[in-house]
Amino acid sequence: MDVLDLARLQFAATGSLHFLFVMVTLGLAPLVAIMHTRWVRSGDPEHERMTRFWGEVYVINYALGIVTGLVMEFQFGLSWAGLSHYAGDVFGAPLAMETLVAFFLESTFLGLWIFGWGRLPRRLHLACIWLVTLTAYASAFFVMVANSFLQNPAGALLRNGRMELVDAAALFTNKALVFAFPHVIGVGLFAGGMVVVGASAYRLRRRDGEAAFFTASLRTGVGTAFAGLWVAVAFGYPQFAGVAEGKFGSDRGVATTALAIMMEAGNLLSLVLLALLVTRSRLPRWRWSHPLLIAMTPVPFALAVCGWLAREVGRQPWMIWERLSVADAMSPGLTSGMVTASLVGFVAVLGMLAVADYALIVRVVRRGPRDLPLGATVDEQRSPALSH
Amino acid sequence: MELIWYAVFALLLVGYFALEGFDLGVGMLLPLIGGDQRGRDRLVAAMAPFVLANEVWLVAVAGTLFGVYPMLEGEVLFGLYPLVVAMLLAWVVRDAGLWFRRRADGARWRSFWDAMITVGSLGLAFGWGVALYAAATGFAASLLHPAGLLLGVVVTLVLAWHGWTFLGWRAPEAAGITRSGRALALSGAAAALPAAAVVGGALPYLLEHSAPSPTLSVLSVMVLPFAPVMVLAQVWVWRTFRPGKGPVRTLSFF
Repeated sequence: MDVLDLARLQFAATGSLHFLFVMVTLGLAPLVAIMHTRWVRSGDPEHERMTRFWGEVYVINYALGIVTGLVMEFQFGLSWAGLSHYAGDVFGAPLAMETLVAFFLESTFLGLWIFGWGRLPRRLHLACIWLVTLTAYASAFFVMVANSFLQNPAGALLRNGRMELVDAAALFTNKALVFAFPHVIGVGLFAGGMVVVGASAYRLRRRDGEAAFFTASLRTGVGTAFAGLWVAVAFGYPQFAGVAEGKFGSDRGVATTALAIMMEAGNLLSLVLLALLVTRSRLPRWRWSHPLLIAMTPVPFALAVCGWLAREVGRQPWMIWERLSVADAMSPGLTSGMVTASLVGFVAVLGMLAVADYALIVRVVRRGPRDLPLGATVDEQRSPALSH
Repeated sequence: MELIWYAVFALLLVGYFALEGFDLGVGMLLPLIGGDQRGRDRLVAAMAPFVLANEVWLVAVAGTLFGVYPMLEGEVLFGLYPLVVAMLLAWVVRDAGLWFRRRADGARWRSFWDAMITVGSLGLAFGWGVALYAAATGFAASLLHPAGLLLGVVVTLVLAWHGWTFLGWRAPEAAGITRSGRALALSGAAAALPAAAVVGGALPYLLEHSAPSPTLSVLSVMVLPFAPVMVLAQVWVWRTFRPGKGPVRTLSFF
């Protein structure tokens, strides 16, 4: 592999890993916020347990979203300095907004939500998780604005060898963005819903208590996954109107295959999810269905990676469609040795953390909604370590 | 407008050192003053509510660098390639240590992640000294220049002192010392001083390399209206988690 392939592999590996965790964040954040709202309204301890259990899954998953995201943000400057040099005046703006307006607030409010348990007034505490959800979606929006500019460089003109922003409105109403953003949101809800479905099916299958809790969770998960998938499919097809000609030609192997797999599976799954929605009140009792539901849990993740491969590999050899090639976008002077070292470092560390994170989520599901650390008070924990 | 965005960039960078500086300091001090597992738990619990609100200042620095100084973004990060990769990995294991340490039972699990917090905090603090020296010398000198390594040691020590002061303010009984809010402000200023000097010295250079005004206008319209919200959110964190608000019955999540 030459240095360009290595740099692309590094971005693809860290980017795919990042998105696997981000899509769960996007799907679970609104679910946890809704559970929390029900708890505040009803005061029902069962709603509190629901919020804390799925909230625990959500925040453990969030940890990997953060650490992979850090690597993504800095990689632009490390490996793709040519991109900021050529189009940074346009491409940098949405990324700056993502960090300043969205992620800065998201991280601050998440800290308040996690550590403000039992400290903040109930309604302000609830407001925190809704603000986290809102800013997470704003983050996704700005990242998609930046990505869509690469797909279709709208709103910018070439002047003195560099791209300059001339029409901000065109940047935010890019035809590569308007259907892709809701598509990504739908995918997130589909994935978050399927995580809830798979985990609940696992618990119901094992019959080790908490049947009522996981019966309710399963129904919520099926509803969310159904809604998410239908949004994803509905905003999938209109995207073709914005696809540049020749992107998915017969000579473009990986991108076209990935696209075909995603579309075929998406269509088939829409029918499967419809069937699940219709039978959702019976599913908790149908034990035979639980292994199938568990087996379906990884599907949204595999399809999301296919979708990104289609979008990103389909853009090759362009970094910015028909403007800047990936070879020209690479940092001049980057060597195979440098990228190999960082690639090994990132993949090894982030890969191990991802496995550990997955194992920790499984552990939470296995233990079920008891002794939950999120929002735990001194009285309910066996080995107390006071927070100050 | 270039000046406004320079001020935003400088404030974010200086704020990062003053705030995240004490988190890194506490991370380094865990094995030194933490003692047993219970002691380390108390130190981590003291900084835990602040970490998410503090580390995000650096994410904002990087975003601003990309949006406001796109011509420099690649130059700076690529110029420090091995250092940036090492610092990112240090940051990643520090964060993983915080998130993971209490997620499973067992003394070995927790001491492993506590060690990762310390290693990551040390690596990040030392790396900052080297990076600031490189920035001050225009990325010309070797990353292993003795003066850079020396600044790495200095920054590490200053942040450790800042972390210790923070513990004396927030959790005196766990730290074994008592420090006032004013002392914390002073150590925060000291932690931010090297970065402030570098970014201050770079003023003419940064103004010259700002993004063109159409880009800055869009950024101003989109970002500046949210500045009060960002300030309020940060103030809310400090109001909520300041010491001495009566007994708290929640356990620390980190």
